[in-house]
Amino acid sequence: MHELSIVKDIFDTLEGHYGARVEDVQQIQVTAGLLSNVQPVLIQNAFDAFIAENRGYVEMELEVVVNDIVAYCDVCQQNFPVHYHRFVCPCGRSSSTIVQGNELYISKVIFKQEK
Amino acid sequence: MSTNTSSPKSAGNRVGSVQCDNTTLHLLKANDYVANAIRERLKDVCVINVCSSPGSGKTTLMQETGKLLANDLNISVLVGDPETERDAIRMREVGINALQIVTGGMCHIEAQMILQALDHIDITGTDLLFIENVGNLLCPSAFDLGEDYRVTLLATTEGDDKPKKYPRMFLTSELMLVSKSDLLPYVPFSVDAVTKDAREVNPNIEVITISTLKNEGIDEWCDWLKEKVKQKKESRLQAEVK
Repeated sequence: MHELSIVKDIFDTLEGHYGARVEDVQQIQVTAGLLSNVQPVLIQNAFDAFIAENRGYVEMELEVVVNDIVAYCDVCQQNFPVHYHRFVCPCGRSSSTIVQGNELYISKVIFKQEK
Repeated sequence: MSTNTSSPKSAGNRVGSVQCDNTTLHLLKANDYVANAIRERLKDVCVINVCSSPGSGKTTLMQETGKLLANDLNISVLVGDPETERDAIRMREVGINALQIVTGGMCHIEAQMILQALDHIDITGTDLLFIENVGNLLCPSAFDLGEDYRVTLLATTEGDDKPKKYPRMFLTSELMLVSKSDLLPYVPFSVDAVTKDAREVNPNIEVITISTLKNEGIDEWCDWLKEKVKQKKESRLQAEVK
């Protein structure tokens, strides 16, 4: 629901990190955990809407990678995958120590490079 | 560094080699930064972020809590609403210090809005600051507002399947209030089932069943609040001693 503000944050973050080089970015990859409430289709639409309004970025592309949820069991001392939001280890114990699934970050930036 | 991107849009643009930067640039970190600034500023105040769907009884609960704890705690409320000032007016009618945050159609409150609001409300002497979030179980879960605790209301009329549908909200909450318990005889809602589901998402979540209309569970809720305010003050004193 707040995909457009996330897209704005993507561009603010890129500009803050890369400065003027941001104009040479060809593609970015965003990694979103299942718990980050980011829907790839919706963020893609928001991204397309944003670059349509900001002509300098019109060639830029977005790829969204979705991470599954992984939690850690203190008793078994190992990670387990969380299916259907059931934070229960196969051993039967609950754990909400999340190892993966909350994240939302730019994981890759690919720059255009002229000959 | 090479890359394997080959979508139709980029294929035409690529000339020569492509430079690829693998990185970890966290998004929404500006919000977390501001949230920590709020925590720093409100060291003496216990801050509670109250979340739920629209219509589950947040404002009514704030009103009743304000009245019941009027002699015990100094309470202020920041109320989020997409469009109207109605909720803050309802608070002030019962004598609670309140400021409306009109989000302008936005689906959640961000930390920056709280920081700005703090310049427009006098919270001198406030023990307990409620932030009544915009009614929405999705987006507010991703935004730290500098709170000490997050409390999520779930009304019996909403159905007992919500913790699994909106896991991040229940995962990030310390307390779930099952509200409108007076309607339990009339709706297909199981407090046991919702508690079990919520604890599968978050084994540490506390659960209190309440009805502001019939005054059920309200004492337990008020005791929970008084305990949290006390803990905050004690931790503050300990920090000063150190």
